[in-house]
Formats: sequence, structure tokens, C-alpha cells
Amino acid sequence: MENNQSNTANRELRLTRTLDAPIELVWEVWTQPEHIAQWWGPDGFTNTISKMEIKQEGEWDLVMHGPDGTDYKNKSVFKEIVPLKKIVYEHVSSPKFVATIEFEEQGEQTSLSWHMLFESHEQFVQVVKTFKADEGLKQNIEKLNQYLKEASKR
Amino acid sequence: MKARRDVYQAVADPTRRAIINMIATQPHNVNTIAANFDVTRQAISLHIQILADCGLINVKQQGRDRICEARLDQLSEISAWVDQYRQHWESKIDSLEKYVVQLKNERNGKQSK
Repeated sequence: MENNQSNTANRELRLTRTLDAPIELVWEVWTQPEHIAQWWGPDGFTNTISKMEIKQEGEWDLVMHGPDGTDYKNKSVFKEIVPLKKIVYEHVSSPKFVATIEFEEQGEQTSLSWHMLFESHEQFVQVVKTFKADEGLKQNIEKLNQYLKEASKR
Repeated sequence: MKARRDVYQAVADPTRRAIINMIATQPHNVNTIAANFDVTRQAISLHIQILADCGLINVKQQGRDRICEARLDQLSEISAWVDQYRQHWESKIDSLEKYVVQLKNERNGKQSK
């Protein structure tokens, strides 16, 4: 049978990336709120981090401010912190998932593995579906913005 | 409440996913499928009906058998959206990458590219 996959395969995402920066710096950028605020969230979003306790059971409260003024509250709890190695956090606001970020030193570079596990396939599908709707909306807003820019040049 | 039937709803149920898996490689008749599960034949019939409504399977009558075959092309819609969602996270890592390299260059007193 081909369906010999683990029982998490249909509710997880795994991304990997090698960053051209030493592991200490990557760790710093991931664990300090003033840094996170600079890169978290989609293009055009800004972030406010009111709480970020990098320790087991530490809370992490992050609000993303969308370009249209919408606020997206994100509440997470850190489940595991291994300095320069691993961060596990549980996103407790919707959508619920557990994210595991692993850091591995590769000389002057750092390899990053980012794994997200959703509670169930149903939830994952729901998220993807919602995202699909959001994405469609975002693209529409994007198109409108583009259009307005074009129009204002005339 | 009758939900609108689409491919997402079809795969949202574990039994339906198992049915798809079962017939993904070769068509089976409804009785064979039902024999594989602990739920009633009626329940399986309903799942098959939903899968057919969602366009994920074709049911053909062959003599006294009802043969179910998978239409996996329909499932690609989901994987396309999963890919988009993945892209959303990839772009987050893009931003991280850009930022961390910029910071590194600033600290090394180099011009960032």
C-alpha cells in the first residue's frame, strides 16, 4: 500500500531554509521582540508584541496590524526552549497548531527547519480553506490598490 | 443544515479519506468497500454519495455491482491551496532571511546589498 504515511502527514507543513547568518544572530532575531516585529507577518503588516517570555510555558502575545487597519491577535505559549537549538510554541488562538523551529549551525550559516502541526486534518483543511478565502480577498485589495495607484497617476 | 458540498468537505471526514485511499489505485464495488469498514453499509453508501457529489469519485453500475473509481484530479485543488498556504509561510522566512542578513551586514560594518 502506498498510504503508509505517518498519521500526521495530512495535517502538517514543514519548511527548511539555510540562512546566511551565524546561529547566534538567527537565534537573537527569533527571540527578541524588537527584532521579531521587523520581520513577522505578511508584507505591509506591522506588529506589536506586548509579551514574549522565552521560557517554558512563557506567553507570547503578538498583534499583527494589517494594511487595512485590521488587527489580528495571536496568542501563543512556548512549550520548549533550547537555546540555539529549538523553539516549540503552541498557537493557542485560532488556528490552533504547534510550531517547532529547529536551528542547526553550519559554519557561518544556519539551517532552519520550521514545522507546523495542526490538531487534525479537518482543522488544517479549514485553515487552508480560510486562507484561500483570505488570499482571494487580499489579492482583490491588492488589485484595487494597484488600480488606484495607476488611476492617480493619470 | 446542509453544507455546500465541495472537495474540502469530502476530505474532511476520516472514513471518506480512507475510501478514497482504498480506491485510489483500483476501482472497487460498494460491497467490497463496505466490508472494509466497521460502520454500517448505509453509512458507507452515504459517504460514497457525498464523494460522488463532490466529484471525487465516479460510481458506475455494472450488472448488479456498483463500481467506485477515484477521480484524483479533483484533489489537486486542495494541494494547490496547501501550496499557497505554504508559500505564505515561506514568505515569512524570506523576510526573516532578508532581515537577518541585513543585520549581519550592519554589524560587520558592511554595506548591505
